[in-house]
Amino acid sequence: MSPGSRRRSGSGWGWWLLAAFLAWLVGYPLLITGGEALGGSAGWSLDYFGTFFSRSHEWLALWRSFWISALSVFFSALVGVPLGFLFERTDFPGRRILGALVALPVALPPLVGVIAFLFLYGESGFVPRAIQLALGLDQAPWRLQGPAAILLVHTYSMYVYFYLFTRAALARLDGSLLEAAANLGAGRWRTLVRVTLPMLRPALAGAALLTFMTSLASFSAPYLFGGSFRVMTTQIVASRLNGDVTMAQVETVMLAALAFVALGAMRLLDPGTELAGTVRGVAPSRRRLISPLARWATAGAGYVLAVVLLLPHATLLLISFVPAGTWTVEFLPPILGLENYGALVSRPDRLRPLVNSAWMAAAATAGALLLGFAAARGAVARRGKVGRLLESLVVLPWAIPGTVFAVALATTFSVDAPHLGRFLLVGTPWLLPLAYLLRDLPLTGRSALSGLRQLDPALEEASAVLGAGRWRTLRRVVLPMVRPALVAGAGLAFITALGDFVVSIVLYTLDTRPISIEILSSLRLQDTGLAAAYGVLLMLVSGAAFVLWGRDGGAA
Amino acid sequence: MLALFTGLAGCGDGRTSVTVYSPHGRDLLELLEKAYEAKRPDIDVRWLDMGSQEVYDRVRFEAANPQADVWFGGPDTIFSRGAADGLLQPFRPSWADAVPADSQQADDLYFGVYLACPILVYNSAAVSAEEAPRDWDDLLDPRWRDEVIIRDPLASGTMRTVFGMILARSVAETGSEERGWQWLRRLDAQTKEYTLNPALLFEKLTRQEGLVSIWELTDILLLQRRGSPLEYRFATSGTPIIDDSIGLVANAPHADEARAFIEWVGGEEALSLVAREVFRLPARRDLPAESLPPWAQKVLAEMTPAQVDWDLIEENGARWMETWDQTVRAKGSESQDL
Repeated sequence: MSPGSRRRSGSGWGWWLLAAFLAWLVGYPLLITGGEALGGSAGWSLDYFGTFFSRSHEWLALWRSFWISALSVFFSALVGVPLGFLFERTDFPGRRILGALVALPVALPPLVGVIAFLFLYGESGFVPRAIQLALGLDQAPWRLQGPAAILLVHTYSMYVYFYLFTRAALARLDGSLLEAAANLGAGRWRTLVRVTLPMLRPALAGAALLTFMTSLASFSAPYLFGGSFRVMTTQIVASRLNGDVTMAQVETVMLAALAFVALGAMRLLDPGTELAGTVRGVAPSRRRLISPLARWATAGAGYVLAVVLLLPHATLLLISFVPAGTWTVEFLPPILGLENYGALVSRPDRLRPLVNSAWMAAAATAGALLLGFAAARGAVARRGKVGRLLESLVVLPWAIPGTVFAVALATTFSVDAPHLGRFLLVGTPWLLPLAYLLRDLPLTGRSALSGLRQLDPALEEASAVLGAGRWRTLRRVVLPMVRPALVAGAGLAFITALGDFVVSIVLYTLDTRPISIEILSSLRLQDTGLAAAYGVLLMLVSGAAFVLWGRDGGAA
Repeated sequence: MLALFTGLAGCGDGRTSVTVYSPHGRDLLELLEKAYEAKRPDIDVRWLDMGSQEVYDRVRFEAANPQADVWFGGPDTIFSRGAADGLLQPFRPSWADAVPADSQQADDLYFGVYLACPILVYNSAAVSAEEAPRDWDDLLDPRWRDEVIIRDPLASGTMRTVFGMILARSVAETGSEERGWQWLRRLDAQTKEYTLNPALLFEKLTRQEGLVSIWELTDILLLQRRGSPLEYRFATSGTPIIDDSIGLVANAPHADEARAFIEWVGGEEALSLVAREVFRLPARRDLPAESLPPWAQKVLAEMTPAQVDWDLIEENGARWMETWDQTVRAKGSESQDL
């Protein structure tokens, strides 16, 4: 046994303690909620599940949730994977900047992002009106409605997962493997199918899971475009609006059940599913496109693509300059002005949500970084039960739709019973940042994990042999080495918390009201311009964070 | 950043806060906040704007640790659910006697403050006053096929009331709901889209994606002040007037201050302020007509209140909307499933 591993095993109980702490934060709320659903302590029982199963429209909503999510995965992969290959494996002018732009849909703010789609592709939006004018049609060529519209928005906002995961995995791919395949006489196609894709499988499975869960929990697109086409998330809201709170709870549990079945199936199919590919190793060299024609054609297509991808952002920016009530039937808004931004900065209470979101996202990211790193240390140091447990606990929050997770936290922390591990957090400013932290945990945890896994254990041992203490080794050797991975994870975590809507809508209070809730409220008050202004600010901060961290930590 | 944060956190100024959850919107809430704080410098009115259903959800959700003091706004149907769940505590303000008996709740848990009036809406840039629908039935005219856009009724107290009135009328006049359901199916066939929120409804009407609708008077008057082309008309067969109530949240952290606020909101001064500035019609009947602004006097003169069996609507509302959602909504359109 090497000195290093003996030292680690000495503090084994510490890892168990950490696992217990994480289990309390992540797993316990789900158990409590599930228990209440089945045990009937909230005044309801299995009867409601009977009612659920007897109603065909409930089944239909569940089925639609499933197939919409499955197709979202399919289309997102169809767009994201080839893009990942293009930007990671070929070299052409403008590759770096385009590569960053292509990831920007991840920074499209909630709700107003979808509204921007409406202004762009909706019946009286720019694109249909332009087509209508160009072709002299009496009517708009299409209406942005139903499942097709939902899938369009999902694909747009979720292909980024596939894109980032593919790029990160390709970057980590050992170039010598590809060379070996080529030397053994495999053609490019054969190498792709037999070597590259199998190596990408864990990352792709991770992206698929993430896309599936995100679209299962997706709310604004189905709500805005669905109409009578109900998925489970909108069905839950419909039940609540109709006063049937109990049925809404049953529907929530069913949605969670669907998520768990999907997770189980995924694990069964691919035990190595990875949830965040973020670290880059020694990448195979990029194929430089030799023919100038091919280079410029690729670059040209890339720029066109970037423009198309940035249209919703541009639309949002435009709307943010339109004073309320001035834009009616004109093709372009007749008046542009800074009124909305003026309204935003002139009153401190309107700036408050920005400050709230910023501090909560920062605090959540810091906490998630600390917990995620600690858990990843444990998972790497101890390969046995505790290691696997730590690894699963860190990933768990992503396998649960955000709404379900928020409701579980709210249920658990609405009771003051410290001996049961439950505290009264509902209504306090602590619950929402805590929820952000837990939602962020998979991002920081998995990136720390992949960073630490690539670290040569000999380095730590050398440091110990040279007389450095554990802190010194951590500070001077380990942290500098895994810094890019941590930074990349933290960047995504910050953006995720900053723009969150699904968790916030359940848990916010007057003092923690975040930007997304202010956007919702502005939209409710017919202040689309103000909502867009908030959206633009959110986009700028997210974009800046993304570029800043992206440059430091690689593509993901 | 830190300085900004602590500066914004406020409340360290020694004032007692009163927290109001309300769907009434920024215009009204800011107006009342300023007026009340000017009168009571020791009070900091803090409000959170959200949909009326959301107020109920949030108060219910925070029941273990209430944050709100005053539940301000929403139809009786939602308040009665809050009362049944024990989310309100009794408080009878001095103005309660001036509110008609049917706008009062038996246990003094909530009282009507304002009246909301469902109306017919049309875009005056595309539809002349002569052509515009005059009564609810006119919406079924073939002329408006695919020109009707309405707010998703599940999420809207106004739309629920109008649909409820149609069904209640059918029961009252024919003894069965069938005629009412037929009416709603015909309206569904005319309807181009059910919008998610009022903002999108106005947006789409203004951009002429549709031309006629059903909505609530206050919003249209506010829009007109901002130069909107949307115009309204009271239905000739009668307007089902909705009570918009206020109540004291159970275990409110600042119950005494909340009582004083509720007392003030229903007082003459505040009622005439909101009538003048943000077009709210008071529920109290004891205010002299000349104390009301001209628009309100005009409304009271033009509008015919509909005779509606409110108990029947209250009793059946949830079932009706569920049935509507599953058997009527968008049945005209083709199946969208795999």
